[in-house]
Amino acid sequence: MKPRLVKSQREMEGRFEDVWVLVDEEDEVETWPDEAELQVVGSPAPRQDGLVRAGGAARYTVDIQLAGMLHALVLRAPVARCRVTALDLDSARATPGVRAVIGPEGPLTMNGDSPLTAEPAWAGQPVAVIAADTPEAATAGLAALAPTFEVLPPLALEAGLNEQRFTEDPRETVRGDPDAALAGADARVELTCETPAHVQSPLEPHAAVARWEGDSLTAWVSTQGIFDARRELARRFDLAPEQVRVISEYIGGAFGAKQGAGTEALLAAELARTTGRPVRLALGRHEEQVVGGRRSWTRQTVTLGARSDGTLAGIELAAVVDMGVGGWIFPVAEPVLSIYACENVRAMVFPVRTSLRAQNAFRAPGVVEGVTVLEQAMDELAAALGLDPLELRRRNHVDTDQGSGLPYSSKRLLACYDRAAELAGWDGRDALREPHADGLLRGMGCATQIWWGGGGPPAHATVRLDSEARAQVTTGIQDIGTGTLTSARMVAAEELGLPLERVFALGGDTLPNVYSPVSGGSMTTPAVMPAVRSAAGKVRRILLSLAADVLEISADDLELSGGRLRSRDGALDVDVVEVTGKLGNATIDGSGARGPNPEGFRVNTFGCQIAQVAVDPGTGVVRVERVVAVHDVGRIVNPLAASSQAEGGVLQGIGYALSEELVVDPTTGYPVNGHFDDYKVPTIADMPEIVVDFVNVPDANLPNLGAKGLGEPPIVPTAAAIANAFAHATGRRTSAVPLTPARVLEALA
Amino acid sequence: MPVSIEVNGEAHVLDVEPSRRLLAVLRDDLSLTGTKHGCGEGACGACAVLLDGRPVASCLLPVASADGRAVTTIEGLARDGAALQEAFVAEDALQCGFCTPGQVVSATALLASTPRPSREEIRAAMTGNICRCGAYPKIERAILRASGQETA
Repeated sequence: MKPRLVKSQREMEGRFEDVWVLVDEEDEVETWPDEAELQVVGSPAPRQDGLVRAGGAARYTVDIQLAGMLHALVLRAPVARCRVTALDLDSARATPGVRAVIGPEGPLTMNGDSPLTAEPAWAGQPVAVIAADTPEAATAGLAALAPTFEVLPPLALEAGLNEQRFTEDPRETVRGDPDAALAGADARVELTCETPAHVQSPLEPHAAVARWEGDSLTAWVSTQGIFDARRELARRFDLAPEQVRVISEYIGGAFGAKQGAGTEALLAAELARTTGRPVRLALGRHEEQVVGGRRSWTRQTVTLGARSDGTLAGIELAAVVDMGVGGWIFPVAEPVLSIYACENVRAMVFPVRTSLRAQNAFRAPGVVEGVTVLEQAMDELAAALGLDPLELRRRNHVDTDQGSGLPYSSKRLLACYDRAAELAGWDGRDALREPHADGLLRGMGCATQIWWGGGGPPAHATVRLDSEARAQVTTGIQDIGTGTLTSARMVAAEELGLPLERVFALGGDTLPNVYSPVSGGSMTTPAVMPAVRSAAGKVRRILLSLAADVLEISADDLELSGGRLRSRDGALDVDVVEVTGKLGNATIDGSGARGPNPEGFRVNTFGCQIAQVAVDPGTGVVRVERVVAVHDVGRIVNPLAASSQAEGGVLQGIGYALSEELVVDPTTGYPVNGHFDDYKVPTIADMPEIVVDFVNVPDANLPNLGAKGLGEPPIVPTAAAIANAFAHATGRRTSAVPLTPARVLEALA
Repeated sequence: MPVSIEVNGEAHVLDVEPSRRLLAVLRDDLSLTGTKHGCGEGACGACAVLLDGRPVASCLLPVASADGRAVTTIEGLARDGAALQEAFVAEDALQCGFCTPGQVVSATALLASTPRPSREEIRAAMTGNICRCGAYPKIERAILRASGQETA
């Protein structure tokens, strides 16, 4: 091993930062060539833990049951802004079965700001927490608190905009001279559209279980980031990292909402420390819908100016974002800045502070919102120019990232357009507008997808091969439902030349101290899989060397695949156990680290979706009949799980387009539809036919695998494609997404 | 009040508060955590179990209502033969897997009454089971597969 530390760049959802990266020359393996005949990678594989999950044996955080475990409940602000005027902590403490009560004044042993407050600034903010022997006792204790509140008016959005009440300075990005370009354009369209507050709604809510053993803390946390959670818990409780173990073996969905330790793990750990008993804190459904997080509401105005040939002369975006009390401003401006070639762009983002929790990530945060409005404006421009919408997009194709001036490492968007058009029957789309016997109005619309998804260092993996030729892959992957652990298993099996069933991948536990990044930013596949392959490659080389000794043949003359060792001349063909069996209790170990991304490129993913909708002009109900989703994410490791990711993204996009919208009561600032019966996520009855395809060409400039991430891309263009299909069907647009029956009827009136 | 329930073929006499929900008794008292608490409001289907063979939302059912009746949970289905679960795995009809036990329970009830359901029948029977990951296309395929029908 020849380790070096080099400076590289890391990207997370469009944010770039410089990092030091440990580089080992032995980690650098060549990308499998396009024509390589791979045995495992690229073939559909069911999930390694599928039966465990399907049979109900998987233990999610909410399923952890420990001897003596207490159940915690949180008292929350019942309106957005208020002051606690009375709180009967003594009565709560005197309630039978209650073992601990913490109020806004404490007592707290943890460092830093208390997660509890007597002056809530957002709907559902925690005020007090109770731990009791049973959930019923905790409920009784919560009632005994008998809180009273002085209700304060919530911070309203429109007033906030007028008063310039921002969470941080508005952002303006300008390139070229957009004013002159728009003024001189041959065609110009302006479109304003609102996009909804969109709740992640994982079926497993935010939850944590904490147990102390002496000065060591074990925390089961339903989180996308076990190492972030470990760091946060160590800092808050004055512990060394090795004194904290975070376990997140099974996660019941996250979609961006479950970052780090969360308030749940902090409070559970605090309560467990003071009571000396394990504590579970799991949010209820209503809590999850109100405080679990959301994609921000936005109102965007996009102005496009084009030359008569359709090429964009200028773009302007003004986006108002309802931030809640804060959070990072997601890249809502990215689509106008990068998706099409345009020299003159102005993008303004106004982050208004309101009285909801700080906004957080939801699958392709910012970009979904931006694409949903920009892509509708593009269709309006196509109509103004009399151009086919896909043709307009082709004419504005760009091969470089216009912000940095760097070329994309690979971009096969034009192939996505062609394939999607073919699969959707795009050429016959206008026939859909003929009258139908069922009285429905039909139309077809398209939209373009851009996202990052190149991953990067740091990410590590170890592979251990035993005497029975079984390999254990250890990672820090949090498999939130994407199937990335199965991908790790496949990559290792391919590199080791072993059948899939002889390899098993582990993740979701900080104890082995093998780091993977947060399961976000579509980065697990591109970040971790190269490390897995490098680790497996080292084991393979050692194995071949040992095989040469045992079989008395040069290692260069040996091939390893399907669990068999063969000489190139065909004379020798033995099970690999012939060699590993000599190991006894020894193992062959290898570790791998993700190398840096190539300099001089931007790594992004691309795609195109085409939706067909049917609109009932009598009821205003929009039904999505078909969605074609074609994406370019480089090499596809597992086509089965990849199509599932795409279908899931499309379905969440359908919810965003048609039915999902968190509605806030203007008088209290509190959401009125924080339940599954009034916040409507898609069901199987809402499912259209979904046709998925991938370009599936490895990115030759990405190290090791040529694979990019797929978690986020499929949700990006869905709502825009549906809104464009609606406009194609009806000739109208709604002033806001989702296209609810009320908005549709208003638009058709 | 003692409540007598047969759970997955085993008789239990439980001394429980009769208004406690069946879901809480299954999960907290009997440690059968395969049945999930998704919403507690009967709106998501994650808590589905079979009560005398019929699917119910165990999060709404007072345990006293199950007195003298037979409850089958996902653990019982897994023990009695995993053909449906295997179809879910083969078709990748699960992502995070949290809703999957409820999906399997509802699909079991469907196939018991309708051995070869049409796509429309599948959608009607499964619409109460939310899958936030959006595995619906493959859930439909898994049920078709388990009932010996073409999935394409």
